[in-house]
Amino acid sequence: MNSGLSTKNAPSPGVVLPYYIYSAFSLVLAAIMMLVSGEGILASFIGPNLLSTTHMLVLGWVSMVIFGALYQLIPVVMEVKINSEKLAHFSFWTLGIGNILLSFSFWQTYTAPKWMTIIGGILILLSIIAFVINFIATARTTEVKSTQNNFIITSVFWLSLTVILGLFMLLNNKYFFFPISPVELLKTHAALGLIGWFLMLVMGVASILLPMFFIVHNLKTIYIKISYALTNLGLAALVISLLIQLPSWTIDLSGILILLGVASFVRYNYDAYKNRLRKKLDIGMKLTVLSFLLLAASFISGLLAFIAPDFLSEQVIPLSLAFGINLIIGFFTSLILGQMYKTLPFIVWLAKYQDKVGKFKTPLPADLYSEKVANGHYYSFLVAIILLNITLFIDCKLAFYGGVAALIVTGCLYTLNTMKIVLHKENLKPLK
Amino acid sequence: MLENLTKTEQNTLDQIKTVIDPEVAINIVDLGLIYEVHHQEEEKKIQVIMTLSARGCPVGDTIINHVKTVVENEYAEYEVQVDLVWEPQWTPAMITDEGKAALNQ
Repeated sequence: MNSGLSTKNAPSPGVVLPYYIYSAFSLVLAAIMMLVSGEGILASFIGPNLLSTTHMLVLGWVSMVIFGALYQLIPVVMEVKINSEKLAHFSFWTLGIGNILLSFSFWQTYTAPKWMTIIGGILILLSIIAFVINFIATARTTEVKSTQNNFIITSVFWLSLTVILGLFMLLNNKYFFFPISPVELLKTHAALGLIGWFLMLVMGVASILLPMFFIVHNLKTIYIKISYALTNLGLAALVISLLIQLPSWTIDLSGILILLGVASFVRYNYDAYKNRLRKKLDIGMKLTVLSFLLLAASFISGLLAFIAPDFLSEQVIPLSLAFGINLIIGFFTSLILGQMYKTLPFIVWLAKYQDKVGKFKTPLPADLYSEKVANGHYYSFLVAIILLNITLFIDCKLAFYGGVAALIVTGCLYTLNTMKIVLHKENLKPLK
Repeated sequence: MLENLTKTEQNTLDQIKTVIDPEVAINIVDLGLIYEVHHQEEEKKIQVIMTLSARGCPVGDTIINHVKTVVENEYAEYEVQVDLVWEPQWTPAMITDEGKAALNQ
């Protein structure tokens, strides 16, 4: 009678926790890398420091925590057990070591890939292959059919393409197999990773979890279906347009389709937010709401850079960087900062207390971290993202260093709370 | 349904009120998760019929164990059976007024 419960399906904490820990330290490291690079990091689309920091952010910070969270959330969404915990461990170590090798070698040079770069890339590919195999073997056993499930499955498909294309770029730069522009390949790689993997996955998971956390039912799922169709169609068209160099209007059309897809997703979540029964937001949900505002800021910047009206023609580079910064450091970071509080405390709480409830007085998951520290990084993160946006448009060293310092503070406070949760010691009191 | 409860059934419900949902931090009776409570004295049995707010709820069986434990703590000589059902499906409309107030405190 009690079938479909994911506590029974949940993986052991040892599978999930390393991902959260590695990810938290990566945020601190990426922020320190920005500090060491100086404001020159934001001067162009590409450069060794920018490339290295970006990979530390997207692999070490974002992908790492997404993998960890997925091992916990797949049983919730698909109501099945993860196929192999061994593969999940393998995936952690290969991604962890691969990310260090890749980020370190990009820091030194990115135009002439060394063996360290290629080994790093191969390790990441192995990690993704292990993850994809594990994911497919798990997803095959689910009986749950929903658009949200489709989002997650499709995001894993795009992830595979992202990494294959990334490794191909490295090898093509070294051996010149195909005469294709590295800039177009880089754009395709970034679009696949950011829109296909991150955004698609986030849209799938968020459209399940956010209504659950807001406590709202019977939302119009048509918005999610439209979002799924338009975003995928737009991305597929964008990838084809970039790779075979179609006329620029096809890229414009792809961008519009993706934008409408994201707008439809935001609309769905706006309904959830507006009709929520839980009016008072905890720190996890406050950061999540902020992440949606930053997603909107990111897409407005991207759209303006895309259309580039005359009066903004000199702002195309800062607007493009604002798109990337508000997406990666803004949306994804804020969402992860917030959703950590909706997942990690529960994982640790369940491991410590699931057999003790009712027999002793036990704390709640929210008692496992410091609310003050969480509020501290909410505000330091706000300062960071505002100052970094200012830096893009006006030449101000103080704003850059202030923003990066605030990001380091954010990373340190977040890591402090992450470790406080992970290292939580059982705290049992008698019932009476 | 939770009407016309006997003294034992009401007392059982009061015990279940000590079970707090770890996510929303309000008790599961006010959250509307408890559908029925039955006390059968001849068979020395207490049956609780309940649901969860979402099918994949990660703390689902911890909540169910918690319900079983608190009722067993009070009625050690009884067989306590907790049944999970998905029909009728839980909706936010099932949250009591006390629960709604507690959600936003």
